[in-house]
Amino acid sequence: MASEDVRCVDFWCNEFGMRARIALREKRVGFEFVEEDLRVRERSDLVRRMNPVHRSIPILIHDGRPVCGSMNIVEYVDEAWRGETRLLPADSVERAHARFWADFVDNKVYPAQTRFFTGRGEAKAAALAELLAHLRQLESVLGDKAFFGGDEFGFLDVAFVPFSAMFYGYEQHGGVSMEAECPRLMRWVRRCEERESVRSVLPSGVDMYDIHKEFYGIE
Amino acid sequence: MSETAVKLIGFFDSPFAHRAEVALRLKGVPYELVLEKDLGNKSELLLKHNPIHKKVPVLLHGDKAICESLLIVEYVDEAFDGPPLLPADPFDRADARFWARFLDDKCSTPFWLALWTEGEAQKGFAKEIQESLKLLEAQLKGKRFFGGDDLGFLDIAACGFAHWLSVFEEVAGVTLVTPQEFPDLCRWGKEYTSHEIVKQCLPDRATLLAHFSAKKDYFVSTVKSMAPN
Repeated sequence: MASEDVRCVDFWCNEFGMRARIALREKRVGFEFVEEDLRVRERSDLVRRMNPVHRSIPILIHDGRPVCGSMNIVEYVDEAWRGETRLLPADSVERAHARFWADFVDNKVYPAQTRFFTGRGEAKAAALAELLAHLRQLESVLGDKAFFGGDEFGFLDVAFVPFSAMFYGYEQHGGVSMEAECPRLMRWVRRCEERESVRSVLPSGVDMYDIHKEFYGIE
Repeated sequence: MSETAVKLIGFFDSPFAHRAEVALRLKGVPYELVLEKDLGNKSELLLKHNPIHKKVPVLLHGDKAICESLLIVEYVDEAFDGPPLLPADPFDRADARFWARFLDDKCSTPFWLALWTEGEAQKGFAKEIQESLKLLEAQLKGKRFFGGDDLGFLDIAACGFAHWLSVFEEVAGVTLVTPQEFPDLCRWGKEYTSHEIVKQCLPDRATLLAHFSAKKDYFVSTVKSMAPN
């Protein structure tokens, strides 16, 4: 498949885009990282052409055809390059559960994270409490397993691990210790960071917090 | 596993529950329908199996629970034999999933707001939902269904705009979709609601109309707390 054209349009600190790039690396698919600077208000021609509906990133462009939506991209990558590594579990029930909890990250964790960084005073404290509750929920889903996927790194691990790059920010902004709040989750994070795909994609906590402070206007 | 009992927890007026039912029927899966009587007073069964969201539908397959209507449709497609609901090609699958999510993530809120708000705000939401529905309509590309010659994942996902849309328009006294402005979407809506399998699990229109009319004041009150993103 050496003649394939695979591009991933993304920005280095985009948690959703990291999912796409980790999935591609896990599947050993060579791709070109096309950077879209989210600090610029207007989206590029490429993004507007490839994702006219949402004008958002990440976008996977495979032989000129776009796939949009981070978890959509992860499923596509899993299906289009079958290989030995499978990201989604084989069992149908487990697949449904993996998708359910990936949606939970999008619909519960991410909005709480946003409210936490944009809120002040009581609103900020409430958002932090909610965020930690969601993280503990995910921790209970992880249980004693090495990964959310079981023995193997999989779909839900891909969906959630980019958010671990924000944990340093949660600590700084919230005055909490993630090790104290979610010790099992932290062990999972360290296990994930042993993987080349995660190490090469996740920015440092400091860099993530610095740029998000810029985005959210935090001193 | 496919011989194990299948139960679906639903509610008669819910297009989300309908999605799950129509998927089961298209795949020829026998199931027991358990209807919630009052979503203001949810059953133990529902709360036990969907503690996170506490919503219908929930599919129970043996001792396993699957929540979220689109996830249930995908699960039914994967776990049971029968005609495929999602296409085989990974790109086409990604496309179907993209548009299904578009409906839930981008359309449901402006649709709701376009029904129950008033004045300039209402006009803005109406324009927004109409633009979105135009994008959806364009996905038909002259086909009978989004899925081609027969129903597929996106048809099932879009069921609300086939059957529930006109009921809500009538209750709200608002017109969002006309055959003149949306000829393909309206044609599709008729194809969908008259499909022999869909008909078996579509709630009666007159019953929906009476039920939603009685709840109009409640619906109007819900938009007060909704801040559009």
